[in-house]
Amino acid sequence: MDFVTLGGDLLGTIPLGDIVLYLTPLNLFLFAVMLVFTLLIAISKTETQVEATFNKLSNTNVKVGKSEFKQRRFLAVICGIATAGAMITGDLFNFTLFMALIGILNIGIVSAVKQTSVLNSAYQYGLIAMMCSLPLFGGASIILASTGTLSLAVLSQMSASPMVVFGAVLMLLGILGESGVAPFFASKAEMFRTPGSPFIVIIHLSSLFIIVRAVEILLLVLW
Amino acid sequence: MVLIPAYVPSEFISMYLPAIYAGLIVGFIGSMAIAMRREEIHILILTDLIGLAMIFIVSAVGTDLAEALILPGLVVELAETLAISEILISREMHKIDANPKANLTKSTSLFPQPFALDMEIMTTAPNFIALVLIAYGIFLTGFTGGAVAGGGIVLYALSKKARGLPVLVIDGLAGVSGISWCLWIIGFVLFFVSPNLWVLSLFLAACGLLLKVASKVGLIGLLMREDIDKE
Repeated sequence: MDFVTLGGDLLGTIPLGDIVLYLTPLNLFLFAVMLVFTLLIAISKTETQVEATFNKLSNTNVKVGKSEFKQRRFLAVICGIATAGAMITGDLFNFTLFMALIGILNIGIVSAVKQTSVLNSAYQYGLIAMMCSLPLFGGASIILASTGTLSLAVLSQMSASPMVVFGAVLMLLGILGESGVAPFFASKAEMFRTPGSPFIVIIHLSSLFIIVRAVEILLLVLW
Repeated sequence: MVLIPAYVPSEFISMYLPAIYAGLIVGFIGSMAIAMRREEIHILILTDLIGLAMIFIVSAVGTDLAEALILPGLVVELAETLAISEILISREMHKIDANPKANLTKSTSLFPQPFALDMEIMTTAPNFIALVLIAYGIFLTGFTGGAVAGGGIVLYALSKKARGLPVLVIDGLAGVSGISWCLWIIGFVLFFVSPNLWVLSLFLAACGLLLKVASKVGLIGLLMREDIDKE
């Protein structure tokens, strides 16, 4: 499928050698929204959870320490930038790399929490993300092998051969596992149950955005 | 549409499908091994096996573009392994903090026992072998040379048993690594900006990479010795 049909009018291209970035309203909108969210996260402070204490009248505050706050904010901002990069990239392999980077950063954001259950689910999610890097990178490389290019602008003009379809299916599997949706959500859902809200939200937001972009890329490659 | 140049031998072309099959089969075997119930550290190592199968499939393409894809793939795998093992360690720490006695009942394989390497051969021969390795590494230059020279530094570091390494040495090695990284980048940029200086930029990149890999492997060796010499 031509990317003009999916994303609206072509506003321009940024040719960087083999990698050609193309700007359509859809891409630019996703990119801008992601950057605004990243900015909001960079300037916001973390929340404090207030829990009712069992058998007493007082409340317990669950706070996030200074160093943990700084580490989380840094990783969350990097995660936002990586997601924005995945929104605008015009190269199949760059997309998979941004995707894998987001997976690592998601683990990193929750790595410093103290709850054992959160760490447990982060570990499970990490295992799934690592296993899914095989179909993710493998699918991209099979598409490269059968078409000879990774540029989405060129790929969208080609008709899909069976090998490309196989590669795209593998990539879909990788994206599902790497962003923790559909069959793999059980490992990722528990990761949010920790204080430090605005930074935890980026875990969720990045996978939402990346799914939208992944659908666009798979349509470009397949049709 | 023919994408493969005519001068590529047919043996190489026919290797593509077996390599893909091999990668998928290795990945499948790894997943089956993970599905069998084991300790978590074993699952982590087996997951790395699936990561290696990914390298199989990417490298099966066999063009220079695919070669450029293997390196980020490897780095991503390494970063994920490090992140997950960090999670595992901090989780075990929290568990031990919460209940210190729970660790005593059953043995965990997470933290290996410290051991002392007390052998005659570790003190006499390695100096010479390290020297030969470093000289050979400098002769090779590039990534391979860096690995060989780094192996020499590791051997030397392992053979010396001095405790309490001065911070200056570790910082110095890290500094050399950083400077050589800059050399590499300068060489790389020069390659694009003025291609007629390719010999200079090639040597800059090769020497930078040599120093970088050597200092990095050496650093690993030094840190490892600090661990091993722990009594």
